[in-house]
Amino acid sequence: MQREVGTLPLAPALRARLAAAGFQTAQELLDTGPCGLSKEIGISREEALEALQVVRQECHGDAARTAGGSGATRKCTALELLEEEQTQGFIITFCSALDNILGGGVQLTKITEICGAPGVGKTQLCMQLAVDVQIPECFGGVAGEAVFIDTEGSFMVDRVVDIAAACVQHCHLIAEAQQEEDLRKALETFSLENILSHIYYFRCRDYTELLAQVYLLPEFLSEHSKVRLVVIDGIAFPFRHDFEDLSLRTRLLNGLAQQLIIVANDHRSAVVLTNQMTTRIGQSQSTLVPALGESWGHAATVRLIFHWDNSQRLATLYKSPSQKESTIAYHITSHGFRDVQPPAVTHSTEGTELNPRKRPRTEEEKQ
Amino acid sequence: MAAKKLRRAQLSQEMCERLSRYQITTCQDFLCLSLLELMKVTGQSYYEVQKLLCKVSRACAPKMQTAYEMKLRKSVNPSSAFLSTTLHSLDGVLHGGVSCGSLTEITSPPGCGKTQFCIMLSVLATLPVSMGGLDGAVIYIDTESAFSAERLIEIAANRFPTYFDSDEKLLCMSRSVHLYRELTCCCVLKRIMSLEEEIISKKVKLIVIDSVASVVRKEFDTKLQGNLAERSNFLTRGASVLKYLAEEFSIPVILTNQITTSLSSGPGIRADLVSPADDLSLSE
Repeated sequence: MQREVGTLPLAPALRARLAAAGFQTAQELLDTGPCGLSKEIGISREEALEALQVVRQECHGDAARTAGGSGATRKCTALELLEEEQTQGFIITFCSALDNILGGGVQLTKITEICGAPGVGKTQLCMQLAVDVQIPECFGGVAGEAVFIDTEGSFMVDRVVDIAAACVQHCHLIAEAQQEEDLRKALETFSLENILSHIYYFRCRDYTELLAQVYLLPEFLSEHSKVRLVVIDGIAFPFRHDFEDLSLRTRLLNGLAQQLIIVANDHRSAVVLTNQMTTRIGQSQSTLVPALGESWGHAATVRLIFHWDNSQRLATLYKSPSQKESTIAYHITSHGFRDVQPPAVTHSTEGTELNPRKRPRTEEEKQ
Repeated sequence: MAAKKLRRAQLSQEMCERLSRYQITTCQDFLCLSLLELMKVTGQSYYEVQKLLCKVSRACAPKMQTAYEMKLRKSVNPSSAFLSTTLHSLDGVLHGGVSCGSLTEITSPPGCGKTQFCIMLSVLATLPVSMGGLDGAVIYIDTESAFSAERLIEIAANRFPTYFDSDEKLLCMSRSVHLYRELTCCCVLKRIMSLEEEIISKKVKLIVIDSVASVVRKEFDTKLQGNLAERSNFLTRGASVLKYLAEEFSIPVILTNQITTSLSSGPGIRADLVSPADDLSLSE
């Protein structure tokens, strides 16, 4: 209640008038009332009422925060966070080596960035994830929907159909091997049409449309509360040409990063971005580094770099707060993203399934 | 979409006038400002500005479609999704042929047949749909002056003798192949920008650019400072316009590229990294 007038989110002109009239704290404003306020600073009664409503809302928010409620500050202990993280699902990628180095898969509430040269498999992984996020919980998935924001136009529906069909078949095999009732029931809703209807696709042609779409994301996600994955395929593409003002670019990118962090946290969804590689010309040699500059590197929590080694595709975990840096090989088959060769029989102790992938975790086996 | 004027974004008249005093007239200008700056120029409170932001965003955000709707749309007209190259093994590998609605790049060392392939595809595009063609005109942007009209007629007459049985038909086909000779990067870009109206007026169903690499390598020497940025600027601008045209009209766009030797570590030949079909051009 002792909050200063200058910190309230009112229109700047109004604030200037209040300061000129000598008002200092929010309590003074509330005590004066709308009629008194309108007479003192010369605004209409309706405007004064609106301003007071804003002030009251702000003060209630403050009070809730100081009382320890779940206001904007989100205070909690590390133990609560640990319990939250352990019960949280991961979005598997169907490549067990990649899931392992990521610590289980793509994490919810975190931003993961995938960098790589053209043609190495970034969009393939994004499409795979858009299908994998929809795997029902009894199979070890998070049973969510996906938003796919495409800036390069490399989304091919036919490819998603192939990947989704392979995923559905894999789940059918598991259900047959396990012979459990709830698995079979979950499979009734996990069909090709359902998977495709729950991938929401936006095609942004330049950075303005991308900015607009990201501003509208929170509203979209509150309407579609089951969304657990937001993919932005090609965050670098719209920002790389026609930008003479680099400081504007940095500012817009930082704003985007903040918006995405808010989206990831508020809606408990994973955000996956793909980035391009650019050459940095050093003194004696040139190296390939992720595009968009050093400051963008802080935006993502987890960074994966995909690259070639002769004809083998490799993925390197470049930045992660909880896993160590390592490199694995992966394969892109007609079914999607897969391991290079089936892991040895001793690894997978469960199951008679034919697909060379580690058995997805069920609730009991997780810890 | 970005250049949409604010008054069409359903902002009130006085708000638009007030913003134009600060030179903010398009959605792009509006969205590039931070919240504090917006509060200052609009004179509104924080919550009002957020509502305005949502309104302007809604005006220029893309429409949503689910993957299922996209698939249904494609399956309604399956034959129009690809232009078959009539080489069966190539069609098999490409899953049907050159795909409509995206950019396809053809790369090879000199003399392998890129221009011949482009000429053949031009003939195929003019054929009626029943014969596997697209029944439309072709825009051929030639930067190396390698296009030969006689060769076009020769291919058509010998490949489809039953269809092109009269001179009349051959002349009709050659009339629907529109050739543009552009010799500098600037002209190529200008031509690409002007294609939208031509596509509609001439009912074009195929765009061929032969070749992008030759103009770019003539004009940009990557060893000189600043050229690398300009080159990638030109390529990405051209690429985004071509992608827009391909998607908007659902037509195939074919680009040809050249091969260069990468002298850094690693073995042998790599395609010249003048690759607008993919994300970006890397340096050699």
